[in-house]
Amino acid sequence: MSSLTTTIAYVNDMPCAFEPGESILQFTRRHFDETAIPTLCDAPNLEAYGSCRVCSVEVALEKDGPRRTKASCHTQVEAGMFIYTESPAIQKLRKNIIELVLTDHPLDCLTCEVNGNCELQDVAARVGIRKVRYPAGENHLDREKDLSHPYMTSDLSKCILCYRCVRACDEVQGQLVLSVMGRGFDSKIIKGFDQSFFDSDCVSCGACAQACPTSAISDIYQSKAEVGQDKVRSICTYCGVGCNLEVSVKNGEILSIQAPWEAEVNKGHTCLKGRYAFSFYNHPERLRYPMIRKNGELERVTWDEVYDYLAEKISAVRKENGPDAIGGISSSRCTNEENYLMQKFIRAVVGTNNIDGCARVCHSPTAIGMQRTFGTGAATNSVADLQFTECMMVIGANPTDAHPVTGAKIKQQAMKGKTLIVIDPRKTELARYAQHHLQLRPGTNMAVLDMMLYYIIKEGLDHKDFIEARTEGYEEFRTSILNLNIGELEQVSGVPREQVRAAAIAYAKAGAAMSFHGLGVTEHSQGTFTVMQIANLAMITGNIGRPGCGVNPLRGQNNVQGMADMGVQPYQSAGYFDVTNPEVIHKFSEFYGVQVPTEIGLTIPQMYDAALEGKLKIMWIMGEDLVQSDPNTNKVVKALKSLDLLIVQEIFMTETAKIADVVLPGASFLEKEGTFTNGERRIQRVNQVVKPVGESKADGQIIVDIMNRMGYKQAPYSAKTMLEEIALIVPFFAGVKWDELGEQGKQWPVNADGTDTKILHVGTFKRGKGKFHFKEFKETREITDHQKDFPYILTTNRVLEHYNAGTMTRRTPNVELVTEDLLLIHPEDAAKHNIVQGDWVCIESARGKVDIKAHLTEEVKPGILSTTFHFPELMVNIVTSDVHDSEAKCPEFKVVSVRIRKARRVEERNKLKV
Amino acid sequence: MSKNVRNLSARKGLEDNLFERIAETFDENTGLDTQAQSELADQFLVGNANVFGAASFYDFLKPENAGKKAFACTGSACLLAGTQDAVREKLGEHFKPSQIGDVYCLGRCHENSAFHIQDHNHSGADINRLTDIIDNPATASVPDRYNVGAVGPALLTTNAPNEQQALEALVAVLDSSRDTLMEEMQVSGLRGRGGAGFPTAIKLAAVRNETNDTKYIVCNADEGDPGAFSDRYLLEQRPHLVLFGMAMAGFLTGAREGVVYIRAEYPEAITITEKCAEAFNALFPFQRSDGETVQYKLYVMKARGAYICGEETALLSSIEGLRPEVRTRPPFPVQSGLYGKPTVVSNVETLANLYAIATGGGAAFKAIGTGKSSGTKLLSLDSHFANPGIYEAAMGTPLDEVLYGLGGGFRKPVKALHIGGPLGGLVPLHKTKDLTVDFESFASNGFLLGHASVLSIPEAFPLVEYLEHLFAFTAHESCGKCFPCRIGSVRGKELLEGARKQQRRIDRELFADLLETLEKGSLCALGGGLPLPVKNAMKYFDEELKAFFTPQATAHNV
Repeated sequence: MSSLTTTIAYVNDMPCAFEPGESILQFTRRHFDETAIPTLCDAPNLEAYGSCRVCSVEVALEKDGPRRTKASCHTQVEAGMFIYTESPAIQKLRKNIIELVLTDHPLDCLTCEVNGNCELQDVAARVGIRKVRYPAGENHLDREKDLSHPYMTSDLSKCILCYRCVRACDEVQGQLVLSVMGRGFDSKIIKGFDQSFFDSDCVSCGACAQACPTSAISDIYQSKAEVGQDKVRSICTYCGVGCNLEVSVKNGEILSIQAPWEAEVNKGHTCLKGRYAFSFYNHPERLRYPMIRKNGELERVTWDEVYDYLAEKISAVRKENGPDAIGGISSSRCTNEENYLMQKFIRAVVGTNNIDGCARVCHSPTAIGMQRTFGTGAATNSVADLQFTECMMVIGANPTDAHPVTGAKIKQQAMKGKTLIVIDPRKTELARYAQHHLQLRPGTNMAVLDMMLYYIIKEGLDHKDFIEARTEGYEEFRTSILNLNIGELEQVSGVPREQVRAAAIAYAKAGAAMSFHGLGVTEHSQGTFTVMQIANLAMITGNIGRPGCGVNPLRGQNNVQGMADMGVQPYQSAGYFDVTNPEVIHKFSEFYGVQVPTEIGLTIPQMYDAALEGKLKIMWIMGEDLVQSDPNTNKVVKALKSLDLLIVQEIFMTETAKIADVVLPGASFLEKEGTFTNGERRIQRVNQVVKPVGESKADGQIIVDIMNRMGYKQAPYSAKTMLEEIALIVPFFAGVKWDELGEQGKQWPVNADGTDTKILHVGTFKRGKGKFHFKEFKETREITDHQKDFPYILTTNRVLEHYNAGTMTRRTPNVELVTEDLLLIHPEDAAKHNIVQGDWVCIESARGKVDIKAHLTEEVKPGILSTTFHFPELMVNIVTSDVHDSEAKCPEFKVVSVRIRKARRVEERNKLKV
Repeated sequence: MSKNVRNLSARKGLEDNLFERIAETFDENTGLDTQAQSELADQFLVGNANVFGAASFYDFLKPENAGKKAFACTGSACLLAGTQDAVREKLGEHFKPSQIGDVYCLGRCHENSAFHIQDHNHSGADINRLTDIIDNPATASVPDRYNVGAVGPALLTTNAPNEQQALEALVAVLDSSRDTLMEEMQVSGLRGRGGAGFPTAIKLAAVRNETNDTKYIVCNADEGDPGAFSDRYLLEQRPHLVLFGMAMAGFLTGAREGVVYIRAEYPEAITITEKCAEAFNALFPFQRSDGETVQYKLYVMKARGAYICGEETALLSSIEGLRPEVRTRPPFPVQSGLYGKPTVVSNVETLANLYAIATGGGAAFKAIGTGKSSGTKLLSLDSHFANPGIYEAAMGTPLDEVLYGLGGGFRKPVKALHIGGPLGGLVPLHKTKDLTVDFESFASNGFLLGHASVLSIPEAFPLVEYLEHLFAFTAHESCGKCFPCRIGSVRGKELLEGARKQQRRIDRELFADLLETLEKGSLCALGGGLPLPVKNAMKYFDEELKAFFTPQATAHNV
């Protein structure tokens, strides 16, 4: 009884149990429904603010006691409280407040964008306003609209000053672009210095537009308009965060995209790519029909013709040169089901393990490195663990640009004072907020991590119990680390040892420390070893198997994780089984009903070499623009051109498709169903929003068609049936069922009973004990071979507005926001070469040279250059090298020795090109 | 309140204070320097909008006030005295209209005709030497004079110690037992003098009990209530009492830093307090005889013109460099105050009383005043009194003893007193005899002791105009966060203005609804407190006001 009296409060005289710390608003909504108390300034992903006062309720401390008016959003429930949500006094107060609001709000609802979906309208209707009694007075109805931006719009005459936009920009995105100027009645929402959206530092995430209860801030798609009644939930295709999207459709056309409030992954947030960059889907340049190159030109053909042509060609080469003369490249942009089918096609129908994917050029070292150390090549924890962690280490990753929603979450924690360590050659946005920024020379991650490990051991901060109980190989590892020459490592990395020591201590002393890494770790000659070193750092400090810690790769593409899970690598089958293991061979032969190959196949770089040697005759590339995204473009083009048959399955005529012999039009993610697995192993449902354009088909269907055409019986592509097949062979998918994934998806391993897994390696590692491997820092060949002649180091980065080769984002208004690739160069270096802002710079490596526009910035140290590769016409990969990670064969995009000079006669040459 | 901006500002703290840095980006002639603001935003990792938005909040920083050379007081006392038309006219002889700005109360309520030029305040007859003041701004300023007196035992006025005595007393305090001192505080029954009357010992104990390493003492010296100048008196004449209180509060709670946040409208108080703070800071680090080292550092911060900063949460946001908008509570400042750390926010007069408790003991303090209101209270009397000035009265003293005894009664006919600031009650003259100087007496009679400023409303001054002034003041000073205050204050002003100037009668029901909305709906006491004097006026002066309202609803026409 006593416990009841301390946990019960009364809502309109009805007893209800409350939770400690709960506000009256939360409490009432939980017990009744979301609309139990009206509000205007409250939003699901924002903190209580208390400005509108519409949520006021009456509160008495005893039955029939004196009542006081309290704003329910920031008044905590107390035991025995009597809360009255709809008393006459409260109804009157709400009505009077809304009446005041309407004295400074246009009454043009019928022509307003949000007519029917306006929170002010709803509340006004609910409180029953019939008349505004105040005489006309001072108002802000003449405030001008801001239509400057390709996406964002504002019309502050509609603003009710609830600050939701300001708070969303602050609390959700952390950009601090919006605030308010002036005070009182003259307060006005501002962007920057009261600028336009376009001129401000806005990153177009749209959080403000989604938060705005009226149409004061919106976007060109009028996302809050009621017109698009049909809403389809799906998953974003732009990165490995896996934001849930809610797509509005009408008559087969996509009207707009919003982020669902209740999505666990993104809770009402997403970035400008997810929210706004969807217009590529029906772009005129979408591939709409299959094509075969005839007499040098790609010509439109029917699906029947192309399937016959392919079946015959592939069978012929297979017969004449053997199955290993054929290779397939699958895509981390495609669904799990499609990736599974692609590798199955190559293995079971073609009969070779020559299957690889674009993860080769990004996260293959992560998979191998983490498998060697832990036994599983996947993120150990979930992004939601950020709330439990005490220290975040971000190495070789720039999530605020490349993984914006996760980036925003990390930034939020950092802004609030949580320890952040950034290891990156550039002063990235997160580095600005970090307590520790180790600004190392590109290519020296290993050196810095070695130093960190050294200091952790030196300081006695190694977690002896964890090491003893859960790991092996430590003693040897420890000795090797202590024998390191710190002076040398300090010199080569360029990071003062005291900085490294401080960061190491911060990481080791945190109750829970969480690391995130990206391609700045993997795309190096020592990529795999670096991943292992990050894993060692986690193990030595006991940061595994608990909330708020672990090793968490930030996956670049939406389904990198899933592609690897599905067996798109030449040495491992679906479910990461060793393809040379006789038991595995037997199992898969039985499962597929045909004998599967027994030899390890070729990785992508090996395929190029094999093609150049004439050993590889056919490549089937699904959803990957190798010409633009792989290093050493000249070599890639030469290799692809030397093939007998190049098949490209694409949504646009990419640089690779242009040199293909057969082009197959695939459907975009908005046009098909399936599942993507995000960077935290979360398998989520992609639902079809619209029909595929033209004759294009889901990539999975194309593969199924060709499998059948070549005599293998494979059921038509559907997510449900494919998942049923995958669940039988991939152990960690055992309980994955299309109909049971729900809106939030499930994190693998998913047990047969459907339960999923938030944290890996709890209690024990997948491989039993975690294994310490020691590898010494080794300078990359690119530097040792070329530094003398090419003294600058070029590294690569991304910008928020574009995605990879820009195939999609450059066909959206994003191109109005960022129009070109730029070369980041330190002002001192620029001065040495007489280069000023906006000059064309010729960068030259041992492979070739390109011209690129200079952007002077102190984001990079002297001697270091950085650029993006979103605009194919620049072809930055002409200069990148074909040095690869020793283990995973991932190319070393991040370290290129170059020399620079001010480019000559660029204008003239450009004119000649035209 | 942005937790992010607050935490980013906290990284640099009071040493490199965001608010003061923002203030530096204002150029008197050109207004806000956006280039400098952009660099500042970069340094603090905040948005340009945060810096610009915060700056534009303040009267002395907002872009519209660029190029203002002189400010005429538009406070209630000067309004009621009717001196300001003449002041503006004289200022107009030297300045263009665009160079003359408004300022709500310079605290010269005892002689009015107040104006502000180049960081100096002037009043009374000063307007007649305008040329000298403009030509020699630094030297032409002379301290203003007013009466100071006490009825009953005096703690803050007549018997107060000098600076040296205060410093010596502090040394003794710093070497004594915290528990004993806390006990004395408890026994004294001291309640906050800022208006709310919260027991000071409870506030100190709450912060003392917090385990956080970092804590702060903040002195709310943003005495914005038009008509009040008792804090100004203390800061200018008894700064050592205030700073003693702050240091003692820091010692008791474990706070190592303290901020005196003084309104910019009191430039002389800032200079004097800054100088005094140097003497106090020189005492630290202090070595106790038991070996403990006590750290304390006082910062004197100049506010930039915003009445709302007298509200404690807005004040904290202001120091942090945020827009000073009122925060929701909980959390209370004792748990999460300045930079999110446990903080004692106390009024000037409250802190000044700690000396008496520390030196004379809690019981002696408690012996003064009434059971619930112990100690003394300072009252500010305006120029309508025969003897305007600052008077200290033991709590419980009949109000008339101050008004007619020390104050000497009125120079001309007065119909009501507005006591306790703009949000205090409007007391008809015949009610003063029922009141004693303490929280309870005022509250039980439907008024508010507040900060105990006393403004006289002359017989001849139209109440409708005074009420309009109160709404205008609230509209001008509303932070704009909560809907009722932001919009309601403007609509109220418009209704009264329409009634006064255009004979547009105010719908009585609408007006009652507006007052109820402000009272029940507002986030803080600004919007919430405005209805009190308005309702007092309507209750006691219906005869005068009814012409401006639609007829009272009767049972018949309801």
